[in-house]
Amino acid sequence: MAVLRAFANKQAIAFPLLSDEGSHVMRRLGLLNERVQEDHAAYGIKPDPRHTNLPYPGVFVLDEAGVIVAKRFHESYRERDSGAALLAQTLRVLEPRPPRAADFPGPSIVVGAWLDSPTYSFFQRMHLNLELRLAPGFRIGAPGAPHGIAPLTVQVAETPGVEAGAAEWPDAEESRRAGQDGPALMHGGTIRGLVPLTFAAAPGAGDLLVTATVSYQLRDDAGRLLEPSSVEVRVCVSELAMVDRALPVRQGA
Amino acid sequence: MALPPRDFSTIGPREGTRFPEVVLPDQHGVTMDLHAARGGRRALVVFYRSADW
Repeated sequence: MAVLRAFANKQAIAFPLLSDEGSHVMRRLGLLNERVQEDHAAYGIKPDPRHTNLPYPGVFVLDEAGVIVAKRFHESYRERDSGAALLAQTLRVLEPRPPRAADFPGPSIVVGAWLDSPTYSFFQRMHLNLELRLAPGFRIGAPGAPHGIAPLTVQVAETPGVEAGAAEWPDAEESRRAGQDGPALMHGGTIRGLVPLTFAAAPGAGDLLVTATVSYQLRDDAGRLLEPSSVEVRVCVSELAMVDRALPVRQGA
Repeated sequence: MALPPRDFSTIGPREGTRFPEVVLPDQHGVTMDLHAARGGRRALVVFYRSADW
């Protein structure tokens, strides 16, 4: 408990940290990793008497009734979700647009962009948040729109040490009513999307610039299509040392 | 040396079941009942390796 209290104080953690002294609950739940030493050997970690009675690190998502609606476990101990990424992906709690967000204007659109965290540490997962603000009277082609309008896409530029996943957008509105075969559109106004990123750069990689191109086509209320267009967004992220581990000194830094 | 893949769906409580009752002391030594503390709200229960190393 003293260890948890010190950790909570140091990391400014306000949520409850539960102490499972003796690992009884982990054992009862079947979450004790009996193969920790073996796992650690696979990663080149030397045996340590403290590395026993450890759980598989992972997350359970509970609904209002306490029923498990999702489980998130990572095979590699190195992969971790940032807190904001976890909340966004599991509970769909999107953080409000933070002051560090930057705006990138395009034709009849402004794209706000920011990362869940201004910092990354080795093997952290987080999102590139995109906020598309459409000019009044316009709607936008939905991702995967099959015809009639160019679909909304995001292309993250190749960046060493950054792996991008598939973008997540809200569902398209029902634009194809019975007997109609129009293009799939998304609502106008403000649309929030998320692109999952994993920072796999070796420790010491330093600050990184993530560049992404948002491509889209707008349609006005009169049904007229604008030319397909794109906006490039750029966000910087700086490297953070892991808890209690200093970053290696870079050559020439 | 690569680790053999694991099926995490069968490790620990299963999806679709109610999370087991857990009553443990928190970092302040106050006994906490997980489900009572949720108060009917959704929650994330995070298992992590250590706050010590």
